[in-house]
Amino acid sequence: MTPDSEMKPLLEIKDLRVSYGNDMVLDGIDLAISRGETLAIIGESGTGKTTLGMSIMRLTEGKIRGSIIFDGKDLLTLSEDEMRRMRWNRVAMVFQNVSNVLSPVHTVLEQVAEPMVEHRLRNKDEAREKAGELLATVGLPESRFSAYPHQLSGGEQQRVLLAMALSNDPELLILDEPFSSLDVATRSELGNLLRQDNGRRARLVVTHDLDTASKLADRLAVLYGGRIIEIGNTRDVLKNPRHPYTRALIRSYPNMTAVKDLQGIKGRMTRPVSGCPFHPRCTQMIDICRRELPGLVWNQGRAVACHRGGVATILSVKQLSKNFGKVKAVDSVTLHIEAGETLALVGQSGSGKTTLAKMIIGLYQPSRGEVFFDGAKVVSRTKDFYRKVQMIFQNPGESLSHRLSVLESVMEPLEVQGIGTKEERKEKAIRVIGEVELPQTKDFILKYPHHLSGGEMQRVAIARALVLDPVLLIADEPTAFLDASTEAKILKLLLNLQENRGLSMLYITHNIAVARKVSDRIAVMLDGRIIEEGPSNQIVAAPKQAYTRRLLDAAPSLVRFETTAAD
Amino acid sequence: MHIDLKKEIKESNPGQIGVAILVLMIVLAMLAPVLGRYDPLQQSTTTLLSPSRGHWLGTNHVGQDIWSQLLYGARTSLAVGFSVGVLGLLLSILFGVSTALIGGVYDRVVMRIVDAFIIIPMVIVVILVAAYIKPSLLLLIILLSVLSWPSGARAIRAQTLSLKQSGHISASRAFGAGELYIAWRHILPDLVPILLVEFIYGVRRAVFMEAGLAFLGIGDPMVVSWGTMMHDALRFSYLDVWRWWLVPPGVALSLTIIGLTFISHAAEAVVDPRLRDEAVA
Repeated sequence: MTPDSEMKPLLEIKDLRVSYGNDMVLDGIDLAISRGETLAIIGESGTGKTTLGMSIMRLTEGKIRGSIIFDGKDLLTLSEDEMRRMRWNRVAMVFQNVSNVLSPVHTVLEQVAEPMVEHRLRNKDEAREKAGELLATVGLPESRFSAYPHQLSGGEQQRVLLAMALSNDPELLILDEPFSSLDVATRSELGNLLRQDNGRRARLVVTHDLDTASKLADRLAVLYGGRIIEIGNTRDVLKNPRHPYTRALIRSYPNMTAVKDLQGIKGRMTRPVSGCPFHPRCTQMIDICRRELPGLVWNQGRAVACHRGGVATILSVKQLSKNFGKVKAVDSVTLHIEAGETLALVGQSGSGKTTLAKMIIGLYQPSRGEVFFDGAKVVSRTKDFYRKVQMIFQNPGESLSHRLSVLESVMEPLEVQGIGTKEERKEKAIRVIGEVELPQTKDFILKYPHHLSGGEMQRVAIARALVLDPVLLIADEPTAFLDASTEAKILKLLLNLQENRGLSMLYITHNIAVARKVSDRIAVMLDGRIIEEGPSNQIVAAPKQAYTRRLLDAAPSLVRFETTAAD
Repeated sequence: MHIDLKKEIKESNPGQIGVAILVLMIVLAMLAPVLGRYDPLQQSTTTLLSPSRGHWLGTNHVGQDIWSQLLYGARTSLAVGFSVGVLGLLLSILFGVSTALIGGVYDRVVMRIVDAFIIIPMVIVVILVAAYIKPSLLLLIILLSVLSWPSGARAIRAQTLSLKQSGHISASRAFGAGELYIAWRHILPDLVPILLVEFIYGVRRAVFMEAGLAFLGIGDPMVVSWGTMMHDALRFSYLDVWRWWLVPPGVALSLTIIGLTFISHAAEAVVDPRLRDEAVA
């Protein structure tokens, strides 16, 4: 489907729909793979990845509609006989579930030779010879050729399956979780092997494992709820995901390049009756997402199916400045926050972090510059604005009124906004108090701030900020007054809340060690200016500015490891 | 930050004495019709009587019962005092809180007016105005209230300005709260101690002003007042009558003002803890 590909694709899937009974498993899939190319289909379990592979092989029991055009022929119109000739000869598949596929009563060599004999491509001896070659290629030691499947390890079995699939030299190779039972070292080895005979063959890799996809695939298609929601070059998609789901998937994947704590995706995968399949879990849902299905929109070899054109910018400030007399507290700051992401603002005290935050929330009037929220310029801050943007202050002892009980404090925003009846407010407040992991007992909610510990007070302040269900939370050094263990708990809480609610966050801290744990991107501020900005891992691993390096050196590090250069 | 006002006043000796005196005056004023026996304005032919069983403090130059006049005078004094206290305080709060919260030109204009009021001695203004309009009691209350709010407003404004900076008020603004909500929900409760002190100042000043004006003969002659009593008694000071005519209202007035002073002294410690006794703290 890439408009700019010159070669006619080997496989072209058009509007493929597969259903089991009333369950639509795949819904309008359009895909194309050219020879020599590897396309990976990624997604969580249950998104219909395997069904897609099976549908191409015509091995699924579901009802298939649409067309699967392979080398000019629609596989769905072939007779069962023609299809059988096609399978293993021209289109082969490596199944996910290794143990079910191999026959327990034949040696692996016999099993690899079998398809060649069956399709009468070779006589028995030639076939065995070829099978031996293939098994050697996939790295099975010769001593194991005559072993039975149960005598092999999972990794070895997977190699055998791969050899089987390759035996008739298919033009299209479908690999379903090819590396699931392999260790990391074997993965790279087999990955290289698969890439070796490029040119004639097209590969379709079905996996939930981003590492596998990144090692094998040229292009990535992200599947969610039976639909492709993003497609593009592997590197581009992984580095700069455009769909909120893709980004969330990458965030939840343990890898060496991320520094932020792992984060799941809120909710579970459901199949909503209408609208975008991802909308119940999306961090930037708008009305239309609930009603209409977004189509894939192509733009320079990249496509995203999102009503908002991919991850949206929730807040941006342009050339924002604040002068106090002659002092430039904030000097022409431009930055943005995407929906569902955390931007950490790092800098020493007096660098203008809090002033910037207070200008965004409207407690200070900027001397110059503009603030945009959700695409619209913020002129005057109405109650509506505060329903969407909330702030947690540095010192919970100060930001909570000493005259209000826990319950009254948490109810206050609802009261100001005039939301609900008194009973409803109370109910909501108590629910949110539970959400920030505070006791919901009558005894506790009637306590006054001076009866609470610092950690409890900050939790109350967080609950108070969340009770309006904001989409953007500004956290100004929320752990500055807390001890290390309480700080860790509050940070965990904030991360969980972000995951559960899909919050966007501006996290202000002087501690870059904290910033790297909680943020997706870091902006470093010095003397009122942003001097460096980028993905957290990049800022931490390869800072460009000397000041950032100083911050990193000064960051808490309990044990300094001496790096000794090996000769 | 939680200050127990009652406790603060209870634990100071002058405070207790002040409260006792004030309570005594209020009781006397309320029981005036019972204890007085005569209508204080009813004239009789028996003038300038010495104290006797019928007239405990004798009668004045037009035959009115001085004891009854003393009791009803307490009513006037306290009524004017508390009315002006309340009304003046309301004006002080209105201007003090609003200037602090709104600021800008409004703040500057109101504060210059306050400065002007404070520089010009209130007594002289009141005497001048009262001399021209011969105010009724109600008018007098309004006049005193209008003239007495500026100093309170300035103190309240200062306190509000410092309260305005506190974190929970910033937080409240960040929920979208307006100035009215903030003033009502967050500022006023924290102003209570200073409001109490300002109130008692106001009452004391009004009691003193009312008596003073009446003593000078400005004001409604048909109103029974300690000031009027002293004004009348002074004219007959060559007789012995001053002992039961001039001294009792003077003592009553002095006691009332001393009582209020003691209370305000104790209440001030609430606002400024540095004034608290070591033993109490």
